[in-house]
Amino acid sequence: MMKKFVPVTKLIGTFAFSFWALVLHTTLPLVILVLIELLLLAFCGSLGRNVKAVFSLVVFAAFLAVVQLLGGGSLESAYVTGLRMLAMTIVFIILLTTTRLQDLTAALVKQIKIPYEYAFMFTAALRFVPDFIAESQAVQEAQACRGLSTKGNVFKKMIHYMSVIQPLMLKSLGRSETMALSLELRGFGSSEHSFMSNVRPKGVDYAVIALLAGLSCLAVYMRLQGIV
Amino acid sequence: MLEMRDVSFDYGSGVPVLEHINVQIEEGEFIGLGGRNGCGKTTVTRLLMGLEKPAAGDIMYNGKVINHEEAAVRSHFMGYVFQRPERQMFRPTVQAEVAYGPQQLGMSRADADDAVREALESTDLTSLADAYPPNLNRGEKQRVAIASAIAMHTQYIILDEPTSGQDSADKQMLMELLTALNQKGMTILLITHDMDILAQYCKRVLVIGNHTKAFDGTPEELFTQREDLYGLGLSRPEAVTLSLAVPGMKYCCSMKEFTAEILTKLGGKSV
Repeated sequence: MMKKFVPVTKLIGTFAFSFWALVLHTTLPLVILVLIELLLLAFCGSLGRNVKAVFSLVVFAAFLAVVQLLGGGSLESAYVTGLRMLAMTIVFIILLTTTRLQDLTAALVKQIKIPYEYAFMFTAALRFVPDFIAESQAVQEAQACRGLSTKGNVFKKMIHYMSVIQPLMLKSLGRSETMALSLELRGFGSSEHSFMSNVRPKGVDYAVIALLAGLSCLAVYMRLQGIV
Repeated sequence: MLEMRDVSFDYGSGVPVLEHINVQIEEGEFIGLGGRNGCGKTTVTRLLMGLEKPAAGDIMYNGKVINHEEAAVRSHFMGYVFQRPERQMFRPTVQAEVAYGPQQLGMSRADADDAVREALESTDLTSLADAYPPNLNRGEKQRVAIASAIAMHTQYIILDEPTSGQDSADKQMLMELLTALNQKGMTILLITHDMDILAQYCKRVLVIGNHTKAFDGTPEELFTQREDLYGLGLSRPEAVTLSLAVPGMKYCCSMKEFTAEILTKLGGKSV
């Protein structure tokens, strides 16, 4: 379903959901917003593949809520903080799992008029995340084969993780250097760019963007009326 | 003894990667593991090391099921050298890098120093003891990784394509090192696509094909009796092909051996 829309529609959708998460300031509407996002993720067929990521975000949201509570906030504000964080991050999973990164770059440059270098930097950084996670896993395995145990308390784990971070950093630096060279050798920095994909919005995209704008106005109105 | 008993494995998708694998690895063996790309060779070694858990069947060490023992626990008796050994290197010198394993085992300072010294000597790395590991060449990095396993006094060492990307001198040096370690009693299991290595250095060859063990025997049996070498992703080494082509010549596992044999046959002398 989401794959029908062009990247700029999904980008606007992502910002709209994040905006609503900031406008809403009570628990129930935020819970509904998170549930809608999870449903969207399920409709896109990406929930199963991202259960771990969603679970990690839930843990992080819970951690933020506890920090809010310990910092003197009320229980309601703790819930709201955690749910806001969750709503604003899950929507990015939807964006990233339904959009090819090269399409995203094309949309950022063509529709949003961001300079190509910055758009490329953004999408390249996103592309590095799964690679970085895979490399981290490989380094952890290599160290486990040399007796590094991942068991123990948080402090032990942190100390042990130092033996993972260093080779990971060296590898990442080497990788960045190779990538920079590869880009330069293929004409990076040229003022002219063409893109393979057509990311121009269609009628259905304009309709969705109008709907998102309308819902955003409604959210602001409801907030001003103290409904949400 | 290390054993895989009726082991099956998949990556959670239900599509089998390995099915009903039965392998026994005795101490002191020198085994080559071959097969097509993606046939599951690395998965076999990852199962042995504890980096993957079998979907069915058991991994056993000296008669005890070790399915649930983590790689860190198995590292006490088994070392693993990855295809890219730089992934494990994080200390400022080769000596400190090799000392990491013994320190993880809780060895005393004196014992760890002795283990490191012996490991560096065995791998001919003493002169590079103070070198910065990321600056070493690929062959030297492989030797550091092997030294790291030796320093932990492991009985088994598993190597994932240790000679890929190395020049012939480094390759020969590495294989001679592995042969020397094997002669001292260490069990070697190496994954390789190099038929010359299988023929010349390995005493036993395991081949994975069609998700299971397709061959288990000596290199001579493999290269002289199997008709489906190409189907298994293998080929006959040139030395073997030439020795089989000459009537009355014995099986030769290397060009060196073939050259010596043919010279003897022709009454010539090697120069």
